[in-house]
Amino acid sequence: MPKKERKIAATRRLFEGEVRPHLDALYSTALRLTRSPVDAEDLVQDTLVRAYRFYDRFEAGTNFKAWLLRIQMNAFVNRYRRAARERQVFDGPMAAPVGEGVMSRSTMRGLTDPVGDAQRQIIAREISRAFEELSDDARAMVLLADVEELSYKEIAEVIGCPIGTVMSRLHRARKQLQSSLRHHAVQLGIVDTDEDEVDDPVSLEAFRSRKAVKP
Amino acid sequence: MSCKLVRRHLGAFVDGELDPATQIEFERHLEACPGCQEHLAFEGSFRMQTRDSVGRVQAPEHLWERTLRRLDEIDQAKAEHASWVEVRPMRWRHAWPIAAAAAAILIIGGVVGLPKRSDYQSAGMLQDVVNLHTQALPSDVQGEAPGEVVRYFQGKTPFPVRPAQFEEPSVKLVGARYITVGTRPAAALYYIHNGRRITLLVFQSPDIVRNAQRTHVGGREVYYHDVGGNVVTIRQHGGLSYAFFGDLDRPMLFQLAANARVAY
Repeated sequence: MPKKERKIAATRRLFEGEVRPHLDALYSTALRLTRSPVDAEDLVQDTLVRAYRFYDRFEAGTNFKAWLLRIQMNAFVNRYRRAARERQVFDGPMAAPVGEGVMSRSTMRGLTDPVGDAQRQIIAREISRAFEELSDDARAMVLLADVEELSYKEIAEVIGCPIGTVMSRLHRARKQLQSSLRHHAVQLGIVDTDEDEVDDPVSLEAFRSRKAVKP
Repeated sequence: MSCKLVRRHLGAFVDGELDPATQIEFERHLEACPGCQEHLAFEGSFRMQTRDSVGRVQAPEHLWERTLRRLDEIDQAKAEHASWVEVRPMRWRHAWPIAAAAAAILIIGGVVGLPKRSDYQSAGMLQDVVNLHTQALPSDVQGEAPGEVVRYFQGKTPFPVRPAQFEEPSVKLVGARYITVGTRPAAALYYIHNGRRITLLVFQSPDIVRNAQRTHVGGREVYYHDVGGNVVTIRQHGGLSYAFFGDLDRPMLFQLAANARVAY
């Protein structure tokens, strides 16, 4: 085999070995984002072709899965082009306010310790339904943080935004998910209707600076 | 530290994303505050329930196979690019010096040029062109007589179809059939050149060249697209697109597209 072809074959083996363990992660994320198995397969294949073409640009020592997910997220945004509009609704002035303590104690207890498998299954189904109601951006946040367990820094790189934005978007996404779940849970009678204690957001920076001036 | 503050940043606390000093402050508060402990327990269990509900699904087995086939195509194209640069111009120089120069430029363009992002619709149509050639569907009308092919397409396609003619006498028309590219009606014309198949698709789609690369070969404008390492060459005339694809090497495909007589 000529030298050039040996080199191609070696790169290919390396790439396959690195990618294969992440195929399920890519497919799951693609499926949750596109909501269609056919689109998800196309998106994953497109992602891997791009990743292969730009494989030499991957920085060794960084998180390969995060790198793949970044390529996939870009491909998803390019292909569907809905993200820009939705982001505005999600982050911008039109964004619905999210309270801090959206649940009462009894609701939390009901959801934290479901009684029996049946109720556990109902809650799982309701979370799944609530998840489907989230925007593309919010779903991406929950998937990257809670399912793929990426760090905030990695998520910031995947999405292409500052870490502070990841923090606030992720918080918002989780609260939206929780309040949607609570809504369903109340309707199903899993938990009682409860009074919300809606609080103002509290800044961690303010806390740190208050502490800093103390003697 | 207030309960409000702790609850607002409980997510980041569970994620382990607070700075170490704040993390310790949080732990201290949580130890002493049963209310926040309940929030913490909920946050943790909710995280697990979310993971279970919307967690991983297995990728279908054929997805990996399908992806590997695409990577094979890329590897093949990489290897071919390399060998052309080394070998091909020699053979071409002998017969057609001008064509060889043109081919060399095209090859170098193919090697260093980054793939352009074409929009998905035209990418899909181009993939169709390649697939239709690969599938080699049987002809509906056979033989070398262009007149019969013209008659066959009358009433089938919304445009008159005339088979392209080539300067090279070795290129022979062998058949044709009606087909669709994307959702557009098209004429598939089959040719043979020294035992190798060439498929020419004729259809109406001005979009197909929008993201195409463009070059001039022998004074004729030829568009081309890279489709997974294969090249599809395109000529446009009279509102029709003529897409050429075949079991030929790249320079020959450009040569044929440039030499094809599509205007009458």
